[in-house]
Amino acid sequence: MIRPYGMNTARRMANDGGRPLGLLLLFCLLVAAVLWSLASGARHIPLATVWHAVVGFDGSREHLLVMLIRLPRVLAAVLAGSALAVSGVIMQVVTNNPLASPGLLGINAGAAFAVVLVMTLFGTGTGDVYMWYAFGGAGAAALLVHGMGSFGPSGHSTIGLVIAGAIVATFLTALTSAILIFDQNTLDAVRLWTAGSVTGRTMAQNAAVAPYILTGLAAGLFLGRHLVTLSLGAEAARSLGQNQAVWRSVSIAVVILLAGSAVSLAGPIGFVGLVVPHIVRLTIGADYRWVLPFSAVGGALLVVVADLAGRMIFGSQDFPVGVTTALIGAPFFLWLARSRAGGGS
Amino acid sequence: MTRCLLVLVIILAGLVIASLALGDVALSRQDLWETLTGSHDRTSRNAMIVFDLRLPRVLLAALVGAALATAGTITLAIMRNPLAEPGVLGINSGAAVAVMAVIVLLQDPPALLPPVAGFAGAAAMAAAVFLLSWRGGTSSLRIILTGIGLGSLAGAATTFLSAFGDIGDVQRAMIWLAGSVYDASLAKVRFLFLWLVIPLALAWMASRELDLIRFGDDTAKSFGQPVDRTRGLMIVLCTLISGAAVAAAGLIGFVGLVAPHVAGRLVGPSHARILPVAALCGAILVVAADLLGRLVIAPVQIPAGIVTGLIGAPFFASLLWKRRHARG
Repeated sequence: MIRPYGMNTARRMANDGGRPLGLLLLFCLLVAAVLWSLASGARHIPLATVWHAVVGFDGSREHLLVMLIRLPRVLAAVLAGSALAVSGVIMQVVTNNPLASPGLLGINAGAAFAVVLVMTLFGTGTGDVYMWYAFGGAGAAALLVHGMGSFGPSGHSTIGLVIAGAIVATFLTALTSAILIFDQNTLDAVRLWTAGSVTGRTMAQNAAVAPYILTGLAAGLFLGRHLVTLSLGAEAARSLGQNQAVWRSVSIAVVILLAGSAVSLAGPIGFVGLVVPHIVRLTIGADYRWVLPFSAVGGALLVVVADLAGRMIFGSQDFPVGVTTALIGAPFFLWLARSRAGGGS
Repeated sequence: MTRCLLVLVIILAGLVIASLALGDVALSRQDLWETLTGSHDRTSRNAMIVFDLRLPRVLLAALVGAALATAGTITLAIMRNPLAEPGVLGINSGAAVAVMAVIVLLQDPPALLPPVAGFAGAAAMAAAVFLLSWRGGTSSLRIILTGIGLGSLAGAATTFLSAFGDIGDVQRAMIWLAGSVYDASLAKVRFLFLWLVIPLALAWMASRELDLIRFGDDTAKSFGQPVDRTRGLMIVLCTLISGAAVAAAGLIGFVGLVAPHVAGRLVGPSHARILPVAALCGAILVVAADLLGRLVIAPVQIPAGIVTGLIGAPFFASLLWKRRHARG
């Protein structure tokens, strides 16, 4: 399902060799967006001051603002965006389904359920604690889906994983809504979190998930070659000597690491993992050795810009970034899908 | 096939009878029989419970279930994607954002407005997805991608409203959206039935076209099928059917996704067989979900849409996995 449009574009792009340049350009855009995001806000801080705050922190008001509020926030956006986008790419290849996203592994539903359950049982508290519950819930749900999907004689089929994911996600979402419908306090406390937000993140929170995300990103980039083989379909992959069961499991482990960390850091942002891989594939073609790094940078860029836009346009510090990513990304994605996907008929 | 239909009809009939008899006031078999055959007068307490409260509710549940399952079967065939359900066309997200907007922005809307808004939102969204993905023809991939894009825009609007709306309104909208058949009346049932009967019949008559289009656009074309027109008409049918179901009962998820898969495993790939079996499975699922939802922790009623997820998901998981093992 993914192959037809990817392959055509890949052929178109193969000769011009513009990809390294494109990646560099995208990366520069990301750096610019990060700097802009650090400098602007309710109080404008010149870039020089931002730089001094990072290299020579002196405890002044502006330095505190940069180091304690803006930098953690931008870092969270970068980490979550790149992790979600890369795990989305991997999911779409592993399931061979354009509708797949990390959410299909039950990551979002598991994290939301764990957070809501803990809030209901033990009352609402600070964000630090929820991170680990979210991570645990996401991981447990994803392992369950993977276990169900590869269970049985015709296991390791993509359709098994897809249906198992839909079933587990439906079940957990139903449990979550059952709790929220009867418990208004929890609904009030959790609704901003479920929208996806990077407001008020601390350096400690970033540091806690950064190792997982960086490991996952490194592993994900290394997976590129195997994803190309997986994306060719079961028979081609077998004839090329790939052990699909193993690589599919490795891929899913990477997805759990990445998306689980991202969700615990920024809440269940569905859009990035679903759409950024499509945008990248529609733009540069289906060579996954390139799709992965492009998605990592592109996902980070989208979330940083979305967070910046939420602050600047809507003038609110806690406008949920999950909303602005869709508002910014969806029109672009729709245009791409209309002009490039699926051929004339 | 006949045996399978018969078994499903018997299960459905059993569930309907149980729904009529069970509840806060449990009726004995004899009471129920006498009430239904009308040997008591129609104004007695039992008659009121059965005819005014329970019968409309169980009929509405069955109709909604059959409608969702049929719409799901159609979507599965025209999209050729195992994850395709009417939501792919933007129907759910369109209805959700319209209802959320009406309830949160208007504070206290008249009772008729949310269902109408739900249908209008669903229909507008499906039309937008289809038109935006049309480029000299249709392609299932382009429809899916457009559905994702427009769906996430609508989802963002819903999230925004639910994050900043009044908490009471948000909760009310969530309950509506969770999918329930609380406020059924015979008038509502009659309207939904008349609305659905023609699209459902058309869907069944088009089962050969669905068989063809499922093979892929090229194959279907070489058999002389006007693929684009068929897909367009099917999307219209699907919108009429599931939009009405959503307006009547909110977002009861999962039925449209799973009923066609189950039916396919029960009776094979022919849509002339799948459609009626899927409709029966859907009806059974929603009726059972509503029954359980009002019995389990009575007097609290759990919306049917939540029960389909809680009970239906594990149940169908076991069913699908058992069939798979049986086949080897």
